[in-house]
Amino acid sequence: MRTGDYKQSYGELVTLIDSPPVWLWSTVLVLALVVAPYVLNAYALSFLTIILITVVGALGLNILTGYTGLISLGHVGFLLTGAYGYAVLVSKYQLPPLVGFLGAGLVPAAASLIVGAPSLRLKGLYLAITTLAFSFIINTVILEMRWLTNGARGIAVQRPEIFGVSFESDAAFTHLCLATAILTLFATLNIRRSRVGRAFVAIRDNDTAARVMGINLHAYKLLAFVTSAFITGIAGALYGIYLSFVNVEGFPFLLSIEALAILIVGGLGSALGAVLGTVLIVLLPEATRLVFSLFSAQMDAMFTTGAQELKSMLYGLVIILFLRFQPRGLVGVWHDLKRTWVNWPLRY
Amino acid sequence: MQYFLQLLISGLAIGAIYGLIAMGFAVIYKSTGLVNFAQGEMTMIVAYIAWTVSTTGSGNILVVSLAAILAAVSLGLVIERVVMRPMLGEPVFATVMVTIGLAVILRSSINFIWDAYPHGLDIGVGRGIVRVGGIGVRTGQIAVIATLLLLLAAIWAFFRYSKTGVAMRAVAADDRTALLMGISATRVHALAWAASSVIAGIGGVFFALSYDLSPAMFQLGLKAFPATILGGLDAVLGSGIGGLLIGLTENFAGGYIGSGMKEVAGFAMIIVVLMIRPFGLFGERDIERV
Amino acid sequence: MRNHLATVSLLTAALLSGGALAADPGVTDTEILIGDVEPLTGPPALLGVAASIGHKIAIAEANNAGGINGRKIKYVLEDDGYVTARTIQGVKKVIEVDKVFAMLGISGSGQSIAVMPVLEKAGIPTVIDVAPVKLLWEPARKNVFVVGQSYEEGIIHLVNYLADKNPGKTWGLITQDDDYGITVRDGFDSVVKAKKLKVVYSGTYKKGQQDFSSDMLQLKESRADVFLAGGIIAENIAMMKELEKLNVKPVTGIFWPGRIEPVLKLMGPAGDGIYAVDYVEPFAGEAGKAFLEKAKPLVTEAEFKGINRYTMTGYAAAKVLIAAIERCGKTVTWACTISELEKTKNVETGVMAPISFGPGVRFSNQKLQIMQADAATLSFKPVK
Repeated sequence: MRTGDYKQSYGELVTLIDSPPVWLWSTVLVLALVVAPYVLNAYALSFLTIILITVVGALGLNILTGYTGLISLGHVGFLLTGAYGYAVLVSKYQLPPLVGFLGAGLVPAAASLIVGAPSLRLKGLYLAITTLAFSFIINTVILEMRWLTNGARGIAVQRPEIFGVSFESDAAFTHLCLATAILTLFATLNIRRSRVGRAFVAIRDNDTAARVMGINLHAYKLLAFVTSAFITGIAGALYGIYLSFVNVEGFPFLLSIEALAILIVGGLGSALGAVLGTVLIVLLPEATRLVFSLFSAQMDAMFTTGAQELKSMLYGLVIILFLRFQPRGLVGVWHDLKRTWVNWPLRY
Repeated sequence: MQYFLQLLISGLAIGAIYGLIAMGFAVIYKSTGLVNFAQGEMTMIVAYIAWTVSTTGSGNILVVSLAAILAAVSLGLVIERVVMRPMLGEPVFATVMVTIGLAVILRSSINFIWDAYPHGLDIGVGRGIVRVGGIGVRTGQIAVIATLLLLLAAIWAFFRYSKTGVAMRAVAADDRTALLMGISATRVHALAWAASSVIAGIGGVFFALSYDLSPAMFQLGLKAFPATILGGLDAVLGSGIGGLLIGLTENFAGGYIGSGMKEVAGFAMIIVVLMIRPFGLFGERDIERV
Repeated sequence: MRNHLATVSLLTAALLSGGALAADPGVTDTEILIGDVEPLTGPPALLGVAASIGHKIAIAEANNAGGINGRKIKYVLEDDGYVTARTIQGVKKVIEVDKVFAMLGISGSGQSIAVMPVLEKAGIPTVIDVAPVKLLWEPARKNVFVVGQSYEEGIIHLVNYLADKNPGKTWGLITQDDDYGITVRDGFDSVVKAKKLKVVYSGTYKKGQQDFSSDMLQLKESRADVFLAGGIIAENIAMMKELEKLNVKPVTGIFWPGRIEPVLKLMGPAGDGIYAVDYVEPFAGEAGKAFLEKAKPLVTEAEFKGINRYTMTGYAAAKVLIAAIERCGKTVTWACTISELEKTKNVETGVMAPISFGPGVRFSNQKLQIMQADAATLSFKPVK
């Protein structure tokens, strides 16, 4: 009788896919996601697209906050510079979209070097504050650099065509987002189990010990920050394409906070958590809407501004309740479920 | 010269409001180790309650101030008891996220309870204009600067001489030892939330008096945050002074460099200051450089 | 078993298609669905809720008169919280899930620009009323109609009026740092060039700015005689009160997004005599009073309080759409509605000049009027 899930070597512990059923279900999930755009209606599809784009961004932040334990309060700044990096190169200078995506990663990465180099020497809230300041200052910088960014007018962005394949339709664009999300997931999972990833986690868990073990703290923190900004920038490019129009207003400060909420609700420090958290946070407004539509008959009658605000309040309430009763996040729920499933009917 | 003085006085007036809210941040950080992201929203709620009292009940300045202080105390205590205390012992990160959830709820409650229109707080005084040598200032603006200075003195005395003040400093310095010495940490936390709510609430009411109430008022929290970083997150008095400095910086940047610079001047300033003094101008030197 | 399945699938099909007769979605023998997406939460709810109330008044009016050729109108309203990504999703939802027949609205200017590709692809008849900007009708889209007047034209009209009234005077301007501010600035600049106005102060402020002391001080120092306040609502109030404090009172013009009556109460005496431009009737006039009379029994008390100029623009757009559907008679289709919308000629709504579209013309180009604030009665009055 199976009594549990035991690992016998380090290799087994770090392998990404450790059993045939996991292989099977992962494949099924990917296939389902590939087919989904042809089955779903445009509304449901827009949720899938948003989830996939947000996953990329959340995984980017996860490298910094989840793995390395550094807090950024201004990640929307990298999302924004990424979107502009793409829009300027592709829409303004007519370069191929792939170059645009590269630029969407490199521009925020360069910005993160400037922000990070001086501020990562110190511990604590320091990076959180400088990134917060960065995300406000970059708005003014973009608005002022009219010759490059069109200022407040913004830049219209077309759906891309890569190697002769057009991503014009909603379904095709979702496939592009899906491919990016899967690539990012693999990249971050592999970073996590490499020397670099172990160094990140060592810094998070105990930086003094990490230093003693010969990890160059400043260099590795900076590396985590730059990688995180690069990935977030790619997400920014996809988000800009989705909006079809890049301007400063499409990227409110709230997105920085929402990204952190995703990581915490999902379960800090885990790529799976970032994915689960994204699904929950993106679908939460829709879920509250559904709850409300149950009472829609009365709602229509007494409809006022106030009733609409109840939905936002419910959203805040769910976040609070989640943190209160499940501080390990959705990943914690997932692990509990898995253990119960494997051990049932025994507790241990 | 007149131009300079007018900028100076306007900068001090808005800076005093930032300072009051910044002190609200610092009081909570000092006693609980948390950054309260709902500070701006709490400020806004208190101001709206004051407005409701002034329109439905009495517009008398004493009644309104008393009601506002009572409302602020209850708001702080309720939030601490219902939302924050259950999070005691959870990771700091999760607790800070709770304040973000709280901010969302409070922000939405404005349109839920009141409406999206701007409103003016009228309590008979504070809106009049005093002119000295061509420089104009509203009486409410003079009052807020005076209030900030008085409050700074009072808080300094409180932490220095009163038993509760010393207890709060003890909990902040080392909560475990403080606990062993017989100081109730939860009582100190409750007190901190109530005090923070009142101090920031005063700032909110003054803002409503000199400017106006609107559902966008919570953004004051975002302006006051650099002030508290500048003064030192754990420095209550320093944060108040930080607010004045940010107000002055904004106005001088707006008046001499250009209007586009005004809103980011505060953030630009803290970046520079943090490079030199990462713990803020008046914060305690507790920097780990690993 | 098989029979049951067949019944179920037939039922589902019937439910999904919503009646066998109608070719286009959202129309049954008894009902027509009209969709809308507006900011209903947060500060911009001020315009979103007001616009939706206008749509509701027109719909209630039509329904009380027996509906459109016997079909009652049902209004489907979604909230976008003024977030562009949510506007896109909301529009997709009302089109794909609720399967509405036509759209009204839609949210702010940036939001409606962003949903143009979605609307065009869907081909659904749409009448835009909240934020008329040029990008919505240039190029003209077959199914998208815009009731109103462009921001540029509005500003040009206002500045021309003020320039003729105050010849040889110096000018000051402040605008918001977003697409709205740029449009205001473009309109202003074109008159400055044409009339060779002397501009002594030109500032921008960051969206959400609350303290205007240094900006207004600069305006004072520049000694501008005429001032175009490019704020929206709270900003204009803050500017006027700041100018009052600084003891200067230039001739001031504001633009219609900020022309709501509660603003005057907050400005107090500082707001007396400021000029505004708009294409809807002021509430203090005969037409405005008549509109409020008509609205009163059709809305709840809370909604009645939420009425402002956006209620009028929403009402007019809904009237035009309903009239077009009505002219289609019994067989209501998208193609017919679009061609009837195109034939809209001098439709009277009572809240603005008669509305017309035409072949290839998707913009109603409303007539503008100048009005002036009266602090004593807290209202805007037409200037003769």
